Amino acid sequence: MSLLQEEREIIVQNEYADSFDFQEIEEFVKNASKNLFISHNFKNKNKMLVQPRGGFPTYEKQFALNEFFVKANVDVLPLTIDSNTRLNDYAMAKKMLRLSEENEVDMLNGYPLVNHGYRTTRKMITHFDKPVSLRHGTPDARLLIETAIASGIFEIEGGPITYLLPYSKNFPLDKAFLYWKYVERVCANYSKLNEPINRESFGPLTATLVPPCITIVIQLLEMLLSLEEGVKSFSVSFSQTGSVNQDIVTSAVLKKMAKYYAKEIDCEDAQINLVYHQWMGAFPSNKDYSESLINTSTVIAALVKADKIITKTRDEAFGIPTKEANAKTVANTQYTLRILQGLPNIINEQEEEILTQEVKSIMEAVFNDSADTLWRKVFNSIKNGTIDVPFSPHIINNNEVVTVRDKDKNIRIIKRGNLPISDKCFEYEKSKCNLNKDATSIVNDIIHDIGIMQ
Amino acid sequence: MKNKLLIDIGSTYFKVSDNENLQQHFRDFNKDIFDDLKYKCNEILEKYKKEDIYICSSANGGLSTLIIGTSNSFSLKFATNIAFNSGINIIDTVLYQDIKTTSIPSDLIDVVIIAGGIDSVSKLFDEELFNYLEQINYSNIVYVGNKNDSEELSKKIENLVVLPNIINNKLQVNEDELKEYLTNLYQADIMGKEDIKHLYDITSNQIYPTPYIVNKTLPVINNMLKVADPFILVDIGGATTDIHYSTTLVNDNMIKNNEYDRLVFKKLGVFKSKESLIFAAKNNEFVYELLANMNVTENIFEEQSDKAIKVLMKLAIFLVLYKVSEAHPQYVHLKLNLLKSIVLTGGITKVLKDEEVEDIVGFFYKKILNSQIKPNIVLDSNYEIWTLGITQK
Repeated sequence: MSLLQEEREIIVQNEYADSFDFQEIEEFVKNASKNLFISHNFKNKNKMLVQPRGGFPTYEKQFALNEFFVKANVDVLPLTIDSNTRLNDYAMAKKMLRLSEENEVDMLNGYPLVNHGYRTTRKMITHFDKPVSLRHGTPDARLLIETAIASGIFEIEGGPITYLLPYSKNFPLDKAFLYWKYVERVCANYSKLNEPINRESFGPLTATLVPPCITIVIQLLEMLLSLEEGVKSFSVSFSQTGSVNQDIVTSAVLKKMAKYYAKEIDCEDAQINLVYHQWMGAFPSNKDYSESLINTSTVIAALVKADKIITKTRDEAFGIPTKEANAKTVANTQYTLRILQGLPNIINEQEEEILTQEVKSIMEAVFNDSADTLWRKVFNSIKNGTIDVPFSPHIINNNEVVTVRDKDKNIRIIKRGNLPISDKCFEYEKSKCNLNKDATSIVNDIIHDIGIMQ
Repeated sequence: MKNKLLIDIGSTYFKVSDNENLQQHFRDFNKDIFDDLKYKCNEILEKYKKEDIYICSSANGGLSTLIIGTSNSFSLKFATNIAFNSGINIIDTVLYQDIKTTSIPSDLIDVVIIAGGIDSVSKLFDEELFNYLEQINYSNIVYVGNKNDSEELSKKIENLVVLPNIINNKLQVNEDELKEYLTNLYQADIMGKEDIKHLYDITSNQIYPTPYIVNKTLPVINNMLKVADPFILVDIGGATTDIHYSTTLVNDNMIKNNEYDRLVFKKLGVFKSKESLIFAAKNNEFVYELLANMNVTENIFEEQSDKAIKVLMKLAIFLVLYKVSEAHPQYVHLKLNLLKSIVLTGGITKVLKDEEVEDIVGFFYKKILNSQIKPNIVLDSNYEIWTLGITQK
């Protein structure tokens, strides 16, 4: 038995999880319907896939949510996991699940997959015969991912950086890299049995003034960490930045660089897709404005030719959206996409050139770190601020980079911290901003920007 | 490993290992360590050159340390952590605001560590510190606190060694310089100890504290043993018991190079501190049930037999798990329900069998955590952990 398989046997030993029958699970994956694989859908559905968010604690409510989505013509079903499971607290998830089942009130903010178990959940997943995307935010997702794949969920979101720096304060980053390495290996192994399991990185990060070069570098690194473990289908992603121009430039550079770096590690055979998130920042309390904002996102997704769009709802400012609101946004997004055909290619050469240079400089600095493995190079780069995510709550993040919006709403770097971008690029970034203001005004601009869409 | 001889000097046993065999010898306490080692292992020692012999030791009990810090959450916690991970034994910690009412330790202290504040603060310390220090008997003193106070403290404290602050302005830990200082001090301490310093007659390599070596090995433990993270490593020795644990098991605010920490139970050994182990056992509400589970009575505590040693080792496993569980609020609380593996190293692996350890751990998980599922048990029977760590640069 391989070391990985021995580790897997230990990981699934948990009193809150099903007892795992790995042989049966392999047979299931081998014979599973191709429709369940998003990688198959990416290849064969000649349209942008639409995926909402959503997860309810009880099986019945999750089933009902999926029925709503199917009626609204969803392409990819979501399964959002509750926050107790995200913290590996299955005991609390079990307690809250029982209370949710006994009462009308939902005591969890998502579906406690480990507690429901793969045997139960698989019935729902195979019933709808649509690809399901696992959305969670878990640094140690090893048991969760084993359960998900055994359930028929063949699209796994997250990564060691994108599920840690925006979500966690002190979970050890090196552990996150090792735990995600396990996830990648498991996904890679199952990918040999049928269509590839898709891994999707979480591009929005903190969703607050993250400069495109940081988003792209993190997407590329999570992609490389995944591909080097044998994953054959990977989705890079980013969210609406607030500037249409910057979104178009970001997508162009991200697509180009993803192909370039995949080839650099001899993984050009992997399928790379682009996912676009509708606005991830604070939403307006006016629901009509929210709808307008969501529609704008859909237009941009069409302009950047994303392979998948992840939707938001008009109720976003008011708590967890209802299944009706979720289904409505899916139907509206599908409608908008149908009428947005034949859009022109927009190219901004100068912005693309600057962004490409920034990305290459940071990537080169990461690769030049003296560590012997890629994950350790990335770990060191985050520790020393070569990679720095604005507004990350994690204690390891350098938090020296300061960004503001220019007059055209582009996110610009005005303090580069330890980001290894060239003086030329940095001067370009600053030249777009009005830096004659005093520090208080700039801070006020940043605070105001957090509510930019209001 | 090839062509290297590795020696671990414990308080009770020597372990001597090369790529051909591994020997374990009970120490003769009437002889000094060097003579005893030469007497028992001369044949193998003569086969190796000085540069190919590597030694680690926990035999002299390590350095005794007192830490003074201005906050529990940062300075004291950070310094304690660095000291433990350097293989140092902490005799006490003093929160600076309580220094006036803190009792004065009577023991000779090898090193006093003063920590506190980020570099941008100043004037954290006053006469109370100097009054306190005057009353204690110490050999070394090191300052690793805010930069602004260092000059003033240097003037007033004789022989004060000033190192960079262990806390940076972002409240992150900077451990390298203090760690190096403490391991060098340990080395100097060994050089000065009559029964250890002769060991340098047979090695030209630095002698490190055993816990420091073990700590270095943990990130690569998977290269040798089938261990899933998070795990704990329990080293039950003759005098003390160490737990090295994955920091995923605690809620901690520290970011370090190595995400494994160490705890020392100074009074939980099965030989030198046998009496305190028995005392702790007798005061534990679950131990009589455990003895019944092992099919022995408390009379076993009076026995001098192999069976009694086995029982003591099993008790030590139970008690250390108990002390880091929710049931015992005084120590660091480890989230044992997340634990995937327990690795045992040290002399215990030569005495207990897999199933005996499984039985005790199963008892603990059932009784204390109400769980039927227990972590995977790994016995480091060939001392692979320290043999790897000691040769890693």
